[in-house]
Amino acid sequence: MIADQTQGAPRSLYVHIPFCARRCSYCDFAISLGGGAIQDRYVAALDQELEGLGPLGHLELDTVFLGGGTPSLLRADLLEQVVEVIRTRFRLSSSAEVTIEVNPEGLTEDLARTWRQLGINRVSLGVQSLDPAGLRFLGRAHDAVAAETAMDLVAAAGFENLSCDLIYAIPGQDSASFARGLLQVLTHPVQHVSCYELTVEPGTPLARRVQRKLAPAPAVDAFLEQREIAGELLGSAGLGIYEVSNYAKPGFASRHNLAYWTQLPYLAVGCGSHGFLSAASAALLGLEPKGDMLRYWHLRDAATYIREVMAGGLGWRGHEWLGPAEVEMERVACGLRLAAGVILRGDGQLTRAKELSELGLLTLEGQLVRPTKRGFALLDRVTLELCAA
Amino acid sequence: MTSHKLQRIRNFSIIAHIDHGKSTLADRLLERTGTVSARDMTSQVLDTMDLERERGITIKAQAVRMPYQAEDGRDYELNLIDTPGHVDFAYEVSRALAACEGALLVVDASQGIEAQTLANVYKALELGLEIVPVVNKIDLVQAEPEAVAQEIESVIGIAADQCLMVSARTGMGVAEVLEAVVKRLPAPSGDPQAPLRALIFDCKYDAYRGVVVYVRVVDGAIRAGTQIRMMAGQGNFAVDEVGIFRPGMVPVDSLDAGEVGYLIASIRNVRDSKVGDTITDHLRPATEALPGYRQASPMVWSGLFPIQSDSYQDLKEALERLQLNDAALTFEPETSAALGFGFRCGFLGLLHMEIVQERLEREFGLTLITTAPSVAYRVKFKDGQLAEIDNPDQLPDPGQMEWIEEPRVKVEVMTPKEYLGGLMELCQERRGEFVHLEYQAGERALLTYDLPLGEIIHDFYDQLKSRSRGYASMDYQLTGYRQEQLVKLDVLVAGAKVDALSSIVHRHQASNQGRRLVQRLKEVIPRQLFEVAIQAAVGGKIISRETVPALRKDVLAKCYGGDITRKRKLLEKQREGKQRMKRIGSVEIPQEAFMAVLTLDR
Repeated sequence: MIADQTQGAPRSLYVHIPFCARRCSYCDFAISLGGGAIQDRYVAALDQELEGLGPLGHLELDTVFLGGGTPSLLRADLLEQVVEVIRTRFRLSSSAEVTIEVNPEGLTEDLARTWRQLGINRVSLGVQSLDPAGLRFLGRAHDAVAAETAMDLVAAAGFENLSCDLIYAIPGQDSASFARGLLQVLTHPVQHVSCYELTVEPGTPLARRVQRKLAPAPAVDAFLEQREIAGELLGSAGLGIYEVSNYAKPGFASRHNLAYWTQLPYLAVGCGSHGFLSAASAALLGLEPKGDMLRYWHLRDAATYIREVMAGGLGWRGHEWLGPAEVEMERVACGLRLAAGVILRGDGQLTRAKELSELGLLTLEGQLVRPTKRGFALLDRVTLELCAA
Repeated sequence: MTSHKLQRIRNFSIIAHIDHGKSTLADRLLERTGTVSARDMTSQVLDTMDLERERGITIKAQAVRMPYQAEDGRDYELNLIDTPGHVDFAYEVSRALAACEGALLVVDASQGIEAQTLANVYKALELGLEIVPVVNKIDLVQAEPEAVAQEIESVIGIAADQCLMVSARTGMGVAEVLEAVVKRLPAPSGDPQAPLRALIFDCKYDAYRGVVVYVRVVDGAIRAGTQIRMMAGQGNFAVDEVGIFRPGMVPVDSLDAGEVGYLIASIRNVRDSKVGDTITDHLRPATEALPGYRQASPMVWSGLFPIQSDSYQDLKEALERLQLNDAALTFEPETSAALGFGFRCGFLGLLHMEIVQERLEREFGLTLITTAPSVAYRVKFKDGQLAEIDNPDQLPDPGQMEWIEEPRVKVEVMTPKEYLGGLMELCQERRGEFVHLEYQAGERALLTYDLPLGEIIHDFYDQLKSRSRGYASMDYQLTGYRQEQLVKLDVLVAGAKVDALSSIVHRHQASNQGRRLVQRLKEVIPRQLFEVAIQAAVGGKIISRETVPALRKDVLAKCYGGDITRKRKLLEKQREGKQRMKRIGSVEIPQEAFMAVLTLDR
């Protein structure tokens, strides 16, 4: 399936834009609530970090992902500057996928048009829910009307690749309401849906509320029901599951996110972002190889990141080298997230996979395993079983 | 020279309950006599094992010689023998006491006397030791030294005004303790000219020196070159070195009558120098051994199995290593259908078992499954054969047995009166028979019950503590065997019998016990990818059943961004946890499950 592309140069770039209007209750990403001057300094720092990448900053890219945070909250001239910097430093392949992550609040057709003009060709819209109670629970800054309007604006601006993020198993939202919201989303021109379960991350406002019993924890029944509903409704609308939480019309699977799951190397710049490089690429950054692959991650706080980078650093908070065992474990763990499945190599794993297939959790064809519907609901356990075999 | 020398020796021990300050007092004595300089002073000098310091208990006996110039201007040699402080090590305590002429009884000024302490005091009195009571921790706000002194008077019969008032923590009264040791404890009596008789009160295995034997010379003398003989055990050995503890080992020319020290001979195994045995001179043997020797024998047995079957050999070697230093530990190979190859080990008690298990895991890096401890039952087969069964799984079918007997113990519980009701209830629940109740000074009572040993090796001690808010304490001794209607309670997991989960219970309690056991197992066995039935059975008949439902959801279907590291780290941690479980058939069973029988709510 996936040839051993890990050794090559990265063909994907993630750029983190940390600015948000407010902190959503469930979010544990690196964000910054600052506007104004910090935005200028942040964009200057991104440029500086790219400069520091040396030869790695002049590669050909297949995918670029402007994620956040809320990149759409970056001042228009600064966003243009970021994209320009990327365009002049890197070469974008003719069919490059360039995604921007946006939120419905403050979105206008004019704004969307400027993105289009910058060469951005994919929009990932943070709808999350169309249920007012659900949106309140999540602490989102927009309402359902704004979300629906945003979907149409993006299409009107000429985008042909729109993805919506939805969250399911929100406490208090019943499955019928979730189904209604999803059907409503599907009345708009949507090619891709990321359907994530609500995860209570430690340290988030939601976690504190759940801990103090001010908010109920997500329920298993709702998870199973709504996952089932999502699969069915999206499937009948032509969006098939290709990853545990991602559904797309044929040809619209996110190539950037697939790079993560298929162990393709990727660059990452900006606070809180994570990158993955081959030892050969890492050597270009002056790192002495201590393994086959390198994972690195950045300082989470925007101001600290800016200071570090402006002082001549890469703004990394840490890195780790992966040996063959770690690379193989990640290959299996990530590959199992995909509907296309993963090839197993160990005899122990294949024996265990056979047992799991008898339990209806996997299909096994030769050495290729693919999670079934029930397998996806138990994916972490299935992964553990195979990785411990 | 010799009788003069004897007059300047005092051999004594400290009797105290856990936490009553024995180790702290010993530290102060070492400091004050200059045996250990303040600079080298670590807390609890005599508890050398990490485990001892952590748990605040003494596992091995220790000895130390302290030089002391008394108020009379003369120099004395004080030998402090520190004894183990737990009910599991009662025999070792008695031998350490037998090496002394006196004992300090240390009692916490805010707690009063505990049953365990009292048992040791009686032991000391039986051995003819002089007791000097020390009321410790008098600096505490809640201290009631006078009341405690009064209690000592009424319980032991030593006048309250004879009690020394001490705070080992602050050092208050410690000088008086040293003077009392010299003035109130008798010098050893012994005949320096008689044939050698020396009492072994402990021994340890030293990787470099072989077995180091702790001795108290009663008659005669030992020096390097002496050919010694063990009077109860076998074997002659040439002594390579004799010495004293200060507290490190310091060689001396000879150990004479009345003295305490160590000897090193070409002894390879601690089994060849049994605690309580008498050492004599091979060329000029004594006619009679010192009294009181008996073989230390295990009271409880359990199976130890490595989780990874390839660790069997490592476990065997680790047990051999521990046995070098622990004569009470026994083991023999055991095979379990569920757990594979392991060892059936005999222990003095539950604490001993826990200590061995913890040392195996900590010092030898093994991951073990320990099966629930069992006692040894006596079985008479229909064909007239007799057998001892210490492994529940080996209990024969009722049809094959003429009868089965279980060991019984006399349990003495010392408790404040207010908890008597709850404690009597506890003994009743455990098939106990009331023997005696005695009220003592200070609102205390001494409760005596006759109980099956099998009923107290589990969580009896914990229950005793929790039903008395920690105030009750206990001691027990084996009294004999009694025929009972006992049956084997089997456990089936996913339809297959798991031999390591079998237990022996009274017929009348089988259904109740079976129900609670499967309920408990349901709590500790995590959900699997399929439904798992847990059943309890007696003689092939299912008496109760619970079901662990299949896992329905186990995925975080969230966006990780590119943060794969976090996902992998979590997976690695889970994999480690998984490796601590035992896969039996297709079901993964955690270690706690094998101990579930110990933690049943009654």
